[in-house]
Amino acid sequence: MADVPMLEMKGITKRFPGVLANDNVDFDLYAGEVHTLLGENGAGKSTLMKVLYGLYQADEGEMRLNGEPVTITSPTSAIEHNIGMIHQHFMLVDTLTVAENVALGLHSSRGALTDLDAVSEKIVDLGSQYGLEIDPAATVWQLAVGQKQRVEIIKALYREAQLLILDEPTAVLTPQEVDQLFETLNQMTADGRGLIFISHKLHEVLALSDRITVLRQGRVTGYTTTEGATRASLASMMVGRDVKLAPDKPEVETGSAALEITGLRVIGDRGNVVIDGLDLDVRRGEILGIAGVSGNGQRELAETIAGLRDAEAGSISIAGTDVTNGRPVDVRAAGLAYVPEGRMKDGSIGLFTVAENLLLIDHNSKEFLDAGLLNFDAIRTHSQTLVDEFAVKTPSLDTPVRSLSGGNIQKLILARELSGTPNVLIASQPTRGVDIGAAEYIHKRLVAQRSEDTAILVISEDLDEIFGLSDRIAVMYEGRIMGIVDTSITREEIGLMMAGVTREEAAAG
Amino acid sequence: MSRNAWIWLGVAAAALLVIIIVAVSGGDDETTETTVAAETTTTAEETTTTAGETTTTVEGETTTTAAETTTTAAAAEPIRIAIVAPSASNDLAFTQSIVDAVNVIEGEREVAEVAVTDGTFVVDDAAAAIRDYAASGFDLVIAHGSQYGGSLQEIAPDFPETTFAWGTAADTFGLSNVFAYEAASDEGGYVMGVLGAALTETGTIGIVGPVEVGDAKLYVDGYKAGAEANDSGVTVNINYTGSFSDVALASEAAQAHAAAGADIMTGTAQMVVGAVGVAADQGIPWFGTQANQTSLAPEIVVASQVYKWEIVLRQILDDMAAGTLGGSVYVIDLANEGLAIEYNDGFALSAEVKALGDQAIADIIAGAVEPTG
Amino acid sequence: MSDFFTEAVLIATVAGGIRLAVPLLLAALGETFGQRSGVLNLGVDGIMLLGAFTGYYTVLKTGNVWYGLLAGIAIGIVLGLASSLISVTLQAEQGISGIGVYLFGLGMSDLLFQRLVGTPVPITKFPKIDIPGLSDIPWLGGMFFSHSVVVYLAFLSVPVAMFIINKTNFGMNIRAVGENPEAADSLGVSVSRVRYATVTIGGTLAGAAGAALAIDLGIFQQNLTNAQGFIAIALVYFGAWRPLGVMAGALLYGFVNSLVLQFKTLGIIPQSWSDIAAMAPAIITILALVIVARRFRAPSALTKPFTRGT
Ligand SMILES: Nc1ncnc2c1ncn2[C@@H]1O[C@H](COP(=O)(O)OP(=O)(O)O)[C@@H](O)[C@H]1O
Ligand SMILES: [Mg+2]
Repeated sequence: MADVPMLEMKGITKRFPGVLANDNVDFDLYAGEVHTLLGENGAGKSTLMKVLYGLYQADEGEMRLNGEPVTITSPTSAIEHNIGMIHQHFMLVDTLTVAENVALGLHSSRGALTDLDAVSEKIVDLGSQYGLEIDPAATVWQLAVGQKQRVEIIKALYREAQLLILDEPTAVLTPQEVDQLFETLNQMTADGRGLIFISHKLHEVLALSDRITVLRQGRVTGYTTTEGATRASLASMMVGRDVKLAPDKPEVETGSAALEITGLRVIGDRGNVVIDGLDLDVRRGEILGIAGVSGNGQRELAETIAGLRDAEAGSISIAGTDVTNGRPVDVRAAGLAYVPEGRMKDGSIGLFTVAENLLLIDHNSKEFLDAGLLNFDAIRTHSQTLVDEFAVKTPSLDTPVRSLSGGNIQKLILARELSGTPNVLIASQPTRGVDIGAAEYIHKRLVAQRSEDTAILVISEDLDEIFGLSDRIAVMYEGRIMGIVDTSITREEIGLMMAGVTREEAAAG
Repeated sequence: MSRNAWIWLGVAAAALLVIIIVAVSGGDDETTETTVAAETTTTAEETTTTAGETTTTVEGETTTTAAETTTTAAAAEPIRIAIVAPSASNDLAFTQSIVDAVNVIEGEREVAEVAVTDGTFVVDDAAAAIRDYAASGFDLVIAHGSQYGGSLQEIAPDFPETTFAWGTAADTFGLSNVFAYEAASDEGGYVMGVLGAALTETGTIGIVGPVEVGDAKLYVDGYKAGAEANDSGVTVNINYTGSFSDVALASEAAQAHAAAGADIMTGTAQMVVGAVGVAADQGIPWFGTQANQTSLAPEIVVASQVYKWEIVLRQILDDMAAGTLGGSVYVIDLANEGLAIEYNDGFALSAEVKALGDQAIADIIAGAVEPTG
Repeated sequence: MSDFFTEAVLIATVAGGIRLAVPLLLAALGETFGQRSGVLNLGVDGIMLLGAFTGYYTVLKTGNVWYGLLAGIAIGIVLGLASSLISVTLQAEQGISGIGVYLFGLGMSDLLFQRLVGTPVPITKFPKIDIPGLSDIPWLGGMFFSHSVVVYLAFLSVPVAMFIINKTNFGMNIRAVGENPEAADSLGVSVSRVRYATVTIGGTLAGAAGAALAIDLGIFQQNLTNAQGFIAIALVYFGAWRPLGVMAGALLYGFVNSLVLQFKTLGIIPQSWSDIAAMAPAIITILALVIVARRFRAPSALTKPFTRGT
């Protein structure tokens, strides 16, 4: 490491109306290292990086590059200072080719005309140098997620970025793609580049970083070198107290299959087959985890079971009742509880209050009806019990749901769904975008429900979650189950299966 | 972009085109206008301005009598006249004809004030203007557009002291304070049809019309009848473009006539200026109507049928002076000289041909010929 | 029907379709630039009207058609800049602000006409140019190579537009900004500069389209364009935001119109069907739009103002 850091950010403060996104944050980076910025959603990581990249102007604080004070007022000036940024959401123009995406904003050697041939050549060179092979003539929308990320990295390398910001680059990748990405990143640090890595996946952070700075609510709440850090120590720095990353799971005697799916075939929104001959059983007292990169039919599977989408072929039964293509009410009557993946879109009505949302599925039950009218006293008592029991942090029962945090909305939905005694519970991405504390609680509740003899199907992209919760793991790829395995399987094997390799091949390779 | 957005765009585009179609095919009759609000506002003093229409107020110079005044029971006190009309006051066509007529009247009688609201192709705007004028004490409110009939039927009973004149129309709704007036434009059409048939060498005549209704239809039918009466072998091609305002389409309609061999052309309504231009380029003799169109193409305009609404206005004013505020339908025609054929002196028309025209006029006045019987 | 297949009528049909297509083509090409960069300018027709009046009045006063065309272009540039200011800098709702520009153009062109001219007076038209050699080809010569000079200019601007959009850096920036302005911005492409440029190009071509219309007809009248600017916007969708497609749309619209006129003239379409037939061009264009719309995607950022960091 050189003596002078390539980047120093000192006392950075950034306010948004009503939000202190960065509060007097210090951060530095040396050439040749990976310095990770770790923190929960909303901690202020992206904001700090956008300040560095010139997308936001800091309200207070100063920045130095290689010891020189700088002000960066726009992405253009960031690029001029050899700073590159890979955004949390891809910054690619889908309808342009790879070469055009790379050439955008650069001076052309042919003046007003594009010089895509020259650009393409250099893309191929960079690609072979860093293991980022890509067809420069391909149109971006045709590319897979992992390839799009390569284009993002090439864009930065092409502009000779010495300092590269990677804002949650692994969020959308399979474990194999993550490994490949890390190889590329290691090569870049070996070349003397400095990398700022943002993630909340603790094992990745530990695998890649040299140093780690933890942000919480806009402030630096922890700093450590990677040696000596553990997942647990990082998690407690993020949350500010000790957390249990994997729930304790008591032994439970599994019972009969409460959810049985055979030969399921479903057509997706674009008319293509999204689920293709799928068989699956979930028994009482077990948690079956569905692993897979999103977009492989998981969402459609959950929706079809819940009666929100029609099956073209095959059958679904819940606790022995055939609910194939049944209406949502019928499916619920058969004992299904459903926590959908879109909290705000499908799971709750943002403008309705906490109490109203808790009532959404129960409003026909006799308990709350008084001569056909809603009995508001009974409703309030019931709601208050649920809010207390599930530790939903809300100012009142009359607060509109959309003003709650993601974790509290999720707890609310869980409270509503578990208030009956379901035969089957489907939880889709139950902790996506939820803070660690709430995730910990949600996991605890799922395990508790398992002890109540409910058959639980957890769909998640987060392998830590899948490993921590599941009794058995089914891996989904392109609408099919690639195999059902137990938790002794390695991450690598699961990763291969998520990429479409069968279990036997995965074990062999 | 989602599929929904696409559907939305499709619907929006379709709606847009539907609006265009509606605009193009126009309202009814003499709607020589299809635009959206925002018209000229040339204003003098105490004007009644209605939602962006032109309101021209002219102070009447108290002229005692003009030279050729007909026997007038001159009104005891100066009267106030208001005009509400769909297109521009100087459109060389429908609206201009009434404005010109009122200007003539102004020179003959004791007129205290003339107010004009033009460009009110939106019937609701016109209705508002009509009501405003009646309420502010105008003695005669002229609703110059057959599409205003419905409004008038509602408004007139509320102002029993006010006289309303509605044209071009043939119905007074049985109301005692409404006059109707119309033009026998088929008569002039017939006369010019006779002239056209005499002039054509190819034996083909082209007519450009807007929409086949009202005054336009009357004129076109009369022209065709006149041409065929003079020479049964003549071919009269009629092209209603479907629009009162599409100048480019009228121009292409004239091109189509030329291609089909027409060497004489005529047409009616505001958009016809586009066709006159084509006729001028190709040296094809043109007959005009509703106003004298010689200025548009001095070389090729043979003659124009001109409306002199002052004839019916005089009748109406006389009735009013006599205490009758409505109830009659008046027509301008060749006999009462409300319609006139004005020749272009710059066009060399042989005496024999002109004689045919004069004969046709005489026949019509004598009742020997029914233009569109 | 046999009357239709004569040389004179066929030439008139094709040549008429081309003539009718020209103002639409120019205006739609201009609008294509704006929309490809994400800006919907509904004010095209208003700009065309003011371009038409300015062009007409200039020719009336100077007798020079080229001054007229330049004047129309100049007013188009001014209104294009004004439209950019409204939609890019002020970030007005594009579906509404354009209507404002339209109403302004409609009212202003009429006001100026009433004040400065009054009664329509014919003006000199564009010269007709017979392309040496080609115009003598039987049938085809009359259809394609014997037109007023703006017709050639309009069709020449199609390959120019294609070249700019597909082969230049500016064109690449336009496409990027219309699809993903955040991405373009993050690479240092100025979204507002690109959009100012495209909307101004749109205004320029709309002004030119209006002037071309007025000078080709040799006359001006209130609402001369008769909503052609709105048809031009529809044609941009029909043409799937591509110059060639837009040209196809303009020609389709022009030809159907011309064909209907010929059929009416020759009595092939009976007079009683006349009003219904007048709707044919619009209906055919809507149908084509529906078919095309299924297969192509609008620029993702169309109608969405851009602010950094949201
Ligand atoms: N453009 C913005 N306007 C207002 N608030 C914002 C904006 N961007 C981020 N925030 C708020 O600032 C905080 C930090 O956000 P962010 O930096 O995106 O967090 P992280 O990347 O760590 O998840 C959050 O509370 C977020 O809601
Ligand atoms: Mg972030």
